[in-house]
Amino acid sequence: MASVEIVDVRKSYGDQAVIHGVSIAISNGEFVALVGPSGCGKSTLLRMIAGLEEITGGDVKIGDKVVNGLPPKDRDIAMVFQNYALYPHKTVAENMGFALKLRKTPKAEIDQRVKRAAEILDLMPYLNRYPRQLSGGQRQRVAMGRAIVRAPQVFLFDEPLSNLDAKLRVQMRAEIKELHQRLKTTTVYVTHDQVEAMTMADRIVVLHDGIVEQIGTPLELYDRPNNLFVAGFIGSPAMNMFKGTIRAGAHPHFETADGTRLPLASAPAGSDGLAAIYGIRPEHLTLGGDLKPTVTVIEPTGSETQVIAKLAGEKIIGVFRERVNVKPGESVAMSPDLSLVHLFDAKTGNRIS
Amino acid sequence: MPRTLGRILIYTALILWTIIALFPIFWTFSTTFKVAKDVQLGHIIPWVDFKPSWLGLRAIGLSPDTIFTESTPRAEFIKRFWNSIQASIGASILALILGSMAAYGLSRYSYHWKIWKNRDISFFFLSQLILPPVVLAMPFLVLYKELALLDSMIGLILIYTLSVLPIVIWIMKDQFDTIPQELEQAALVDGCSIWGAFFRIILPIALPGMVAAFILSVILCWNEYFFAALLTSSYAKTLPVMVASQTGSQGISWWSMAALSSAAILPLIIIGIFLERYIVKGLTTGSVK
Ligand SMILES: Nc1ncnc2c1ncn2[C@@H]1O[C@H](COP(=O)(O)OP(=O)(O)OP(=O)(O)O)[C@@H](O)[C@H]1O
Ligand SMILES: [Mg+2]
Repeated sequence: MASVEIVDVRKSYGDQAVIHGVSIAISNGEFVALVGPSGCGKSTLLRMIAGLEEITGGDVKIGDKVVNGLPPKDRDIAMVFQNYALYPHKTVAENMGFALKLRKTPKAEIDQRVKRAAEILDLMPYLNRYPRQLSGGQRQRVAMGRAIVRAPQVFLFDEPLSNLDAKLRVQMRAEIKELHQRLKTTTVYVTHDQVEAMTMADRIVVLHDGIVEQIGTPLELYDRPNNLFVAGFIGSPAMNMFKGTIRAGAHPHFETADGTRLPLASAPAGSDGLAAIYGIRPEHLTLGGDLKPTVTVIEPTGSETQVIAKLAGEKIIGVFRERVNVKPGESVAMSPDLSLVHLFDAKTGNRIS
Repeated sequence: MPRTLGRILIYTALILWTIIALFPIFWTFSTTFKVAKDVQLGHIIPWVDFKPSWLGLRAIGLSPDTIFTESTPRAEFIKRFWNSIQASIGASILALILGSMAAYGLSRYSYHWKIWKNRDISFFFLSQLILPPVVLAMPFLVLYKELALLDSMIGLILIYTLSVLPIVIWIMKDQFDTIPQELEQAALVDGCSIWGAFFRIILPIALPGMVAAFILSVILCWNEYFFAALLTSSYAKTLPVMVASQTGSQGISWWSMAALSSAAILPLIIIGIFLERYIVKGLTTGSVK
């Protein structure tokens, strides 16, 4: 196990810069998720840690040692690829033992370690099969097995679950997390699925267009998103947002362009008249109150009801534990939990606190 | 009964085509056993049209009555046969080694030199097939004379390597393109060097394509006549050249020519029957499913 430190790392392809100075410190044994929309540079960053991509600027350190110039084989990392990249001409056991074989580990020890990994991953019956004879989920496990057999300093995952169906994905999510708790190996996990990141990671790094938007624990990101991008990206369904102006005074409130008033507990100091964005998460709305949006769709899931409505010309989504007896076209009364309202500067997109 | 009719038509067509395809081979084999008169009269069916004779095989010392005696034609034949094997296998191995590496580079790395990129390099290799070999005859003759490569095995192997290289590169690049890059990257992470990843992971996966490319180039080299006739004389002459030179004082000795041709196509027929599977597999499918 080792810590990983990324210091002002940059990457350009030709004269096109895709990573613009990213710094992340990952401590020993931590599980860090890199999330962001497609094309934001998650894979590129991960591959730079692995040594599969040249580093244009900055430093990557694994356990205090700068590894910029080291080839992947000397970095003591293991990586799980999105398409698994199992060697098609090797059996499951050979796939898992390949790295050990390259290190000239004695045969008996290879067998023993492969067997132990196979037991952890429920792969015992498949050791002599070829990858093409396995299901997607089993292949995924073999790819994980190949990584854990080696007991490397760092695990790198690049969207390992994105080729699985929804149910298997949830199951593997729990398994990977359990595996991490058991092995305590430093892990960097790339995903574009914020739910995956929220449920698995100790800390999340939100990337966007090659820069870090925010680093924090899942709940920090959820409770106090630093800017509009993180606010919109973390949480599902996404946070409701309204454009308008902050009005301080005796009755502080937020006024949208069409004059709708949204309640505020208090206006931040010196924010009177500031053009801003008002954000409230769907699950932080309660039924009853002053807001009267018009319902467009009701989606009951049994345990909760999702109400999609229109307010001040914008879509507003509410998620309620209660059953909601209104029809599309009617209005429904709801109100935000005032302590959980987020305000962002309309110009910079940054949080106003 | 349109289905039965359809079948009959298909089978008729297939049988007809089989006959068309096999007839030249049959003719070559049967001519081995004809005498001059049978060839001139166009006799086709043995025992009915003509009485088989050992004349053709005797001419190269392979008939029952000559096979255990000393025979100059047979020694000559074996020497040419061996030359053909050396030239085609040697050139194919060389072309496969060079071609695989070139194809791997073209498939995995981006090269550029001034305005030329990978695609231009690939086209440059393939473009050599456009030029008819005749155009190169004089330059090669002069070049080989200067380098003292005329009538040498090495010279022949080199020119054959050159002429099959484009095809080998083409087939192998196609193979490598179907192998996901992540496979080598996984190997690099697992502890291989770049060469290690190539030899331990990529080559075994690309094997069907390599076998196909190898067989194809062996066949092309084996049948090559033009350069062999041009650049060799007594020492490095190959089988096709010997076949073509079967003219005696009374004109062409069809029977011995046919006997030599039969011996020359026999290895190819064997390759075709036993390795066809690999050729088709290597040329049609990407290796990784
Ligand atoms: N070889 C390359 N040459 C030029 N640009 C590249 C190359 N590889 C990646 N890029 C660019 O770098 C950016 C980041 O790519 P990257 O693969 O890291 O995205 P990602 O965040 O992993 O996206 P996804 O979620 O779709 O996998 C993209 O805009 C992509 O177009
Ligand atoms: Mg990616």
